[in-house]
Amino acid sequence: MHSKQDKKPTLIWFQGLTCNGNTHSFFNLHNLENLLNKFEILYHPSLESTKNIDEITACIFTCDIFIFEGTYDPLMKRNDVLVSEILNYYAKDANYIIAAGTCASFGGMFKASAPERNSGLIFNEADHEGPIIKYKHKVINISGCPIHPEWLGYTLNMVLSKKELEVDKLHRPIELFSNLSHHGCTRNEYFEWKVDSDNFGEKEGCLYYKQGCRAPMTHASCNKILWNEVSSKTRVGTPCFGCTEADFPRQSLYSTKTNMSIPQDMPIGVPKRSYLTLAGIAKTFSIKRLEGKLIDYKKTH
Amino acid sequence: MITKKLIDKIEGEACVYFDIKDRVVDFATIAFPNFRGIQEILKGKNALDALVITPRVCGICGHAHLMATVRAIEDAYKNGGYEIVLNQKIQKIREFTLIMETIQNHLKWIYLTIMPELAQLNKSTKILTPLKSAFGSSIAARAIATFAGQWPHSSYMLPGGITCDPTNIDALKAKSYVDELTSFFEKESLGIGIEEFLAFESCKDFKNMDSDISFIEEELIKAGMNKKGFSHDRFIVLGNHSYTNPSKINQTRIYCADAMCVEDIDSYSPNEKTYAKNAVYSGSYYEAGSLARQMSLNVPIVKNMHRRYKDSAYSRVMARIFELAYLLKESNSILDDIDISEASFNAPQHINAITATGIGVVEAPRGPLVHKVSLEKGVIKEYKIITPTQFNIGSSTKSDPTPAQKSMIGVSKEDALFIFRTFDVCSVCTTH
Repeated sequence: MHSKQDKKPTLIWFQGLTCNGNTHSFFNLHNLENLLNKFEILYHPSLESTKNIDEITACIFTCDIFIFEGTYDPLMKRNDVLVSEILNYYAKDANYIIAAGTCASFGGMFKASAPERNSGLIFNEADHEGPIIKYKHKVINISGCPIHPEWLGYTLNMVLSKKELEVDKLHRPIELFSNLSHHGCTRNEYFEWKVDSDNFGEKEGCLYYKQGCRAPMTHASCNKILWNEVSSKTRVGTPCFGCTEADFPRQSLYSTKTNMSIPQDMPIGVPKRSYLTLAGIAKTFSIKRLEGKLIDYKKTH
Repeated sequence: MITKKLIDKIEGEACVYFDIKDRVVDFATIAFPNFRGIQEILKGKNALDALVITPRVCGICGHAHLMATVRAIEDAYKNGGYEIVLNQKIQKIREFTLIMETIQNHLKWIYLTIMPELAQLNKSTKILTPLKSAFGSSIAARAIATFAGQWPHSSYMLPGGITCDPTNIDALKAKSYVDELTSFFEKESLGIGIEEFLAFESCKDFKNMDSDISFIEEELIKAGMNKKGFSHDRFIVLGNHSYTNPSKINQTRIYCADAMCVEDIDSYSPNEKTYAKNAVYSGSYYEAGSLARQMSLNVPIVKNMHRRYKDSAYSRVMARIFELAYLLKESNSILDDIDISEASFNAPQHINAITATGIGVVEAPRGPLVHKVSLEKGVIKEYKIITPTQFNIGSSTKSDPTPAQKSMIGVSKEDALFIFRTFDVCSVCTTH
């Protein structure tokens, strides 16, 4: 007879080529302990687990949920066993396979370590290929460099509650990745009136025009579900680097590529002509409030 | 006979090859698998892109990499004829977020590594609460995110300043996180007030506590860790901060130190290919990290500890715990002094104007982190990273062992495995 404890879904967290950033990001989840208590953790590289690395790499039992962190490298071994063997073994019987972070989803930062062979689990950047493509219907990509703790928390809770988790073309949950990271940015009014930020280190201005911000071109809910429950890159004046997308990391990350001083990349779905018309009109106005400082400390002294 | 042991539950993985004779470790070599080639990835990129790439060297100390990068680029500006001057606000906010990262690192190491391993070594039946540290660390991460937008993998430091322009609302919020974290540490870890703890001057004072920290202290003694795990009794501190004193220490004698004397050399790993090089200072191996930093500051209890137990595993662990409390207090006072009306960023010359080399040195949680950059018209020609774990856990020959190798000689394999972890191994940093 099974006790209640036995019925917990089993979980393995396994790593490819990684910085451990997804592990540490996930540790910030507010309700982490309660959530993890709902699973039997067979293996996690940092947490107490019921199996050790030798047992895991021996591939002798199965798990319900398999989480993979890091870029897939076909030549990589863990404990002298090819990661590709381990991955294929657990993927076969798992009910869900979660690619934690952009590296596992698309190749990400460490695809560049060996670009000719490294990839994500079922995507090589945006191309639909990878080591477990035959199990693609089970794969959920939670991209982000690193993974947002609440996005993984949400996904695990959806799995626990057996709700259907709809995904987009890149296998990312639509409830998390339909928003753009631009949505909820505190600088939105500056974007509307085409007021750019003169420089870094200012509360004012939009970072899309000069500072390289990719928030209007990036599917992510960073400004809706805040980081560490506190803030986001754009809220602290750092441009969005588009880290949830398949082409991360791009180059010249702190500057906007422009043609005739118009950003080369348009907000997703916005035709260039529409943008130019709107921008042209907005630029003809001079709105003092938006051009001045938001808070002028010296005036209040 | 050589036996291999794969070590996990550290940052990444390491393989230790033990040569056991008469049931004790005669010698051990260390290999770090899984190369990622960050230095190569950086070549040919715009220098500022390094601010996004290098934090991805490490998920637990990426902020230290960010700071090392910004310091290296700012040094290149200086060497290229355009010196960047940072105001107090910029320096203090950078320092604050760096300290918070070290605090979360130490907390996790105490609860996820040291307590479980020590309990296992002593066959203790104490019920452990490893996830407590994740909760405490998440408070530190919030304090970072208040200025840096997120943690891990923030890129809010730029040559010339920081991207955020905080208000007093933010500064006060950060301060309340520090308060919350301090209360957490007092209640959950110390069992006494932090001021009382920081006033300790002798290891005997630890007996006045009944808490997780006193459990660790007692178990360390029980395992004889005050008589094991000795290294070279030489220490190195290189990062310049409000809470460090860059120096090289021989036993208790403190000398000046200069990061230019650091180099990395090939390691000796006869049984497996390793992707790590050893870091040496003027050709010799030095121990880096909290014990080194606290020794360099002449912290009374750490001096007392060193007088009693030298650079044993006990001293290494307890100095680190003490540093956590020390940094909590330091972070609070940094926030008190921030003048919010100072500029967050002073735009320097365009990066394309810079053809020069630069060095950035930071005290990361585990010790000195050195970044060296060579720029040509703002593009990275060469990038070199030397990490603290390369100082502590290199793999050398028996005649000239690294700190970790030396500390494992002469003890049982079980003890050696614990002692290895007292250095807080960061394999991911090392195999950059």
